[in-house]
Amino acid sequence: MTHERVAVVGIGQTKHKKRRDDLSIAGLVREAARRALDDARMTWSDIDAVVIGKAPDIFEGVMKPELYLSDALGGAGKPVFRVHTAGSVGGSTAVVASHLISSRVHRRVLAVAWEKQSEGNAQFGLGGGKSGSIGAGGAFAPWIRAYIRKSGAPEHIGWQVAVKDRQNALRNEYAHLQLKDISIDKVRESPMMWDPLHFLESCPSSDGAGAIVLTDEAGGDAAAADGRAPAWVLGTSMRSEPSSFNGRDPIRPQAGVDCAWDVYRQAGITDPRRQIDVAELYVPFSWYEPMWLEGHDIAPVGEGWKMVDRGETAFDGDFPVNPSGGVLSSNPIGASGMLRFLEAALQVRGTAGEHQVDGARVALAQAYGAAAQYFAMWAVGTDKP
Amino acid sequence: MTVSTQTVSTIQFPYKRTLGPVMGRFFSELTARRIVGIRSGERVIVPPMEYDPETGNELARDFVEVGPAGTVRSWTWVAEPIESHPLERPFAFVLIRLDGADTDMVHVLDAGAEDAVYTGMRVAPRWRDEPVGRIDDIVCFVPGERAEAPEGEPGEAREVTTMEYFSTITYTDVLSPTLVRYASNLRAGKLTGQRCPRCNRVFLGRGYCSVDAIRLGPELDEDLPDRGVVSNYTIVTPTPYPGQKETEPFARASVVLEGDEMVIAQQQILDLPVSEIRVGMRVRAEWMPEAERDAAEITSKGWGTVAGFIKGWRPTGEPDEPAEQYMNRVF
Amino acid sequence: MTTRQKAGETRETAVRQDSDIAIVATAQLPAVRRQELTETEMLLMVVDEALGKVDLERSDIGFSCQGSCDYISGGTFSFVPNLDAMGAWPPIHESHVEMDGAWAMYEAWVRLRHGDIDIAVAMGSGKSSTGDPAAIYPLELDPYYLAPLGLDPVSLAALQARQLIESGKSTERELAEIAARSRRDAAGNPNQQVRAAEQDVDKLLAEGYLRNPLRKSDLPPISDGACAVVLVRGPRAAELTERPAWITGIDHRSEVHNPALRDLTDSASTRLAAARAGGVAGVEVAELMAPFTAQEVILRQSLGLADGVLINPSGGALTGNPLMATGLVRIADAAEAILADGRSRTLGHATSGPALQQNLVCVLEGDNR
Repeated sequence: MTHERVAVVGIGQTKHKKRRDDLSIAGLVREAARRALDDARMTWSDIDAVVIGKAPDIFEGVMKPELYLSDALGGAGKPVFRVHTAGSVGGSTAVVASHLISSRVHRRVLAVAWEKQSEGNAQFGLGGGKSGSIGAGGAFAPWIRAYIRKSGAPEHIGWQVAVKDRQNALRNEYAHLQLKDISIDKVRESPMMWDPLHFLESCPSSDGAGAIVLTDEAGGDAAAADGRAPAWVLGTSMRSEPSSFNGRDPIRPQAGVDCAWDVYRQAGITDPRRQIDVAELYVPFSWYEPMWLEGHDIAPVGEGWKMVDRGETAFDGDFPVNPSGGVLSSNPIGASGMLRFLEAALQVRGTAGEHQVDGARVALAQAYGAAAQYFAMWAVGTDKP
Repeated sequence: MTVSTQTVSTIQFPYKRTLGPVMGRFFSELTARRIVGIRSGERVIVPPMEYDPETGNELARDFVEVGPAGTVRSWTWVAEPIESHPLERPFAFVLIRLDGADTDMVHVLDAGAEDAVYTGMRVAPRWRDEPVGRIDDIVCFVPGERAEAPEGEPGEAREVTTMEYFSTITYTDVLSPTLVRYASNLRAGKLTGQRCPRCNRVFLGRGYCSVDAIRLGPELDEDLPDRGVVSNYTIVTPTPYPGQKETEPFARASVVLEGDEMVIAQQQILDLPVSEIRVGMRVRAEWMPEAERDAAEITSKGWGTVAGFIKGWRPTGEPDEPAEQYMNRVF
Repeated sequence: MTTRQKAGETRETAVRQDSDIAIVATAQLPAVRRQELTETEMLLMVVDEALGKVDLERSDIGFSCQGSCDYISGGTFSFVPNLDAMGAWPPIHESHVEMDGAWAMYEAWVRLRHGDIDIAVAMGSGKSSTGDPAAIYPLELDPYYLAPLGLDPVSLAALQARQLIESGKSTERELAEIAARSRRDAAGNPNQQVRAAEQDVDKLLAEGYLRNPLRKSDLPPISDGACAVVLVRGPRAAELTERPAWITGIDHRSEVHNPALRDLTDSASTRLAAARAGGVAGVEVAELMAPFTAQEVILRQSLGLADGVLINPSGGALTGNPLMATGLVRIADAAEAILADGRSRTLGHATSGPALQQNLVCVLEGDNR
């Protein structure tokens, strides 16, 4: 059985902010979804099924919010599905939605991922509602320390990534943080939040949503014929591994390696460093850029930080990472993975505007979650596979 | 040694919801004791929505005043209200069709007694004395055509943009047999785990092997040393949130037990400034006094926690172990 | 989605294609009021049992999907430890839905249709004993208009039941008869929780209301439990089990969220899902997830099930309701009617959300030899 080709024909996202006090939860997801529909020249009634992703329900205190959001997303009379795979959920949502088409169950699917963190408190939520939450930064800081120690990376690498992504965000009107005067000195001098992570090496807490409209091959062809280039899905994968056991390598988790090679295999990529033009990687703390470059075999082990140091991941480098500004600039947790996936699609469609990378034809997107144990990735391309 | 086999935890948070233009308008009108709906095609939907629920299409913001009286379309009687119910005395949940509305609305009815309630009865709102711009500005409905309200005319509508929602849920969990044994041993000052017969790894407070997915019974119990090596650590600058008690930077260390079998995460290092914690440092457990040992933190989700039994870990002063071989061991 | 036979045709053994998918094994823990095992341990047991029935190992599984809910479990990321029930090392291809295990099965079915893997496992698990559903369930309602009113599921079910009765579509006696029948059936099913309760209709009707017009017998128990099913694609299914339960159609549909905006006496989404899943013609057994008696009436009428159809011979959600697994249990029981009891065509149904907002229908067939 060959499966159906999948195209991304509509992309939308909200303006991400610390607090979208102008919108309800429904208004937030609808802002992204409507933009994706408009982009696809579709209306609610054109959609066959809706897939919703978000991180823990405790963040907003709405249990199974896909129920309340069904009609907000035109879901009455349609299948409405809810994915939750921790921080990778925004990516998993896109993958699950693509499977509904590649398996020929549906032809046009709307996938939306969101978080309205200002309604609650992420530290509280991540700590299971208890005092003394170490937060995500506290959980990842030890592994970052281990990476630095093993790779011998100089400390300025983290500051450099933090500056690069914030400068990229200035090219992205939707990004939450717009830090015009960001500098290495500012990052270095910002408060130490989770040693060795400074405040400015950490992601913000945002309200936001991202949405994509996916179609089958005919839908992608129709969009192309109409002069609206689709992004073709070249490969998707999800991989998970246990949180903790003796022998696990949490610095370069095997699930991340396997997930990447599964995507590369489907996309016909044998040399990711050369064949991928741009990557949107889930980097909530600056050091995760070199860690994922190595963790997905884009750079050899121990060499990820050198790619950063040589400027190769900068906007004008030869392997740009997070031209959108990434998770370091906008972090509505449940949506953060979806933003990576849709930003990759924007790039290969040539519709990324100010942050368009010249000549981007193959893009990689990645999201990870929990104890760096859940991975969702896809590769998208300008050319039909 | 017996331990309580139940753990109780409460998750509560004062959520703050932003309302957006349509619900904001509805709640603002409530502050002036007016109920509005919104036109959706031929219908008037109450309470108003931003979109047509059948299609998802955005609605023009064409608000219509409805009620205040209405007709009961369905009801049930709550003889014993619980804490999350809006009234403390027996009341009815009702579906009400307000005059001028084409949809029903969920609310509550204070009718005194069950036999006073029937489908088709006429009801009107009882307004809150000091409106806050929430659905319970209508405290409840009461039988009859006339709204109950405090003396005097309502003031002008106040603009309402946010809504507080306090959520509190208490969970009571029972401990699995594995955890009961684990907690009993901790009470006796012993750390125990089970060794997987297939992969030879030791697991603490789980009762199964995470790698081989097999259950590990009491026959596989092993005593583990209460000494180890700091494998890694995190220093947290606390941020305030409801329920947060920490105010100063605090450290949480991971300790690999001697014999390199098992890691215990998020431990406190005692009598050492946060800035002096080192990877590779040798430490030993400082147990709580026996009388104070408490299994409250041992839950079915708290893998191998020692909270309530081990106060923290004290440096032994022995030479450090090489850091590199330990650093990956965090959870 | 697909059905190879028109309704009413006599069913011969269909030639099964590579693309056909069957349930080949199921396992469930008996629903109990309070399960001392952790959710991970419960899942370990049902996965072991289901795989054991068809001599498979975890290493044979190409994809797995879990369904659970943080608010039911009482923690954040409560599905993360549950991953260990699959032995996710080396890393595995899996997913999680914050929905009943029936939807986890739907995702597994979608994944199998790609044709690159043969075997998938779907699970659902929940421990509703840990919290009070009456306090928790308002959180799944519209957070602005409904949740602050604390509308609990039993009160909502009563509002629905009253409309059903007052519209003339049912009677209190019919509801009591459903309760009595469910309890009788449960008495013979060790997986059910309410197995020794009153079964005399007149005596049930003599009991007082808990939430007028509902009595205690119209309500489900609070249950803990877990369920797993093994799905296999193509001819491999028949190699693994005598009589696979082929999924001839599966579909799910949602409706408008706010129950006050719906006709609570009808379930249009169930009817639509069933039509998309190939229809109910020829169905001998229907396992309907109706945790309240009135909902069984609504589902039966909405589906247009003929009088001869056996409804919830397992005892149903009314006698065992392990939230987040209940829907998958219904499908598992419908599958067992084929796998173990030799039935030819059965239906499993799952619901989620207030007053039957969201419904999934799975139609299963056995080959006649």
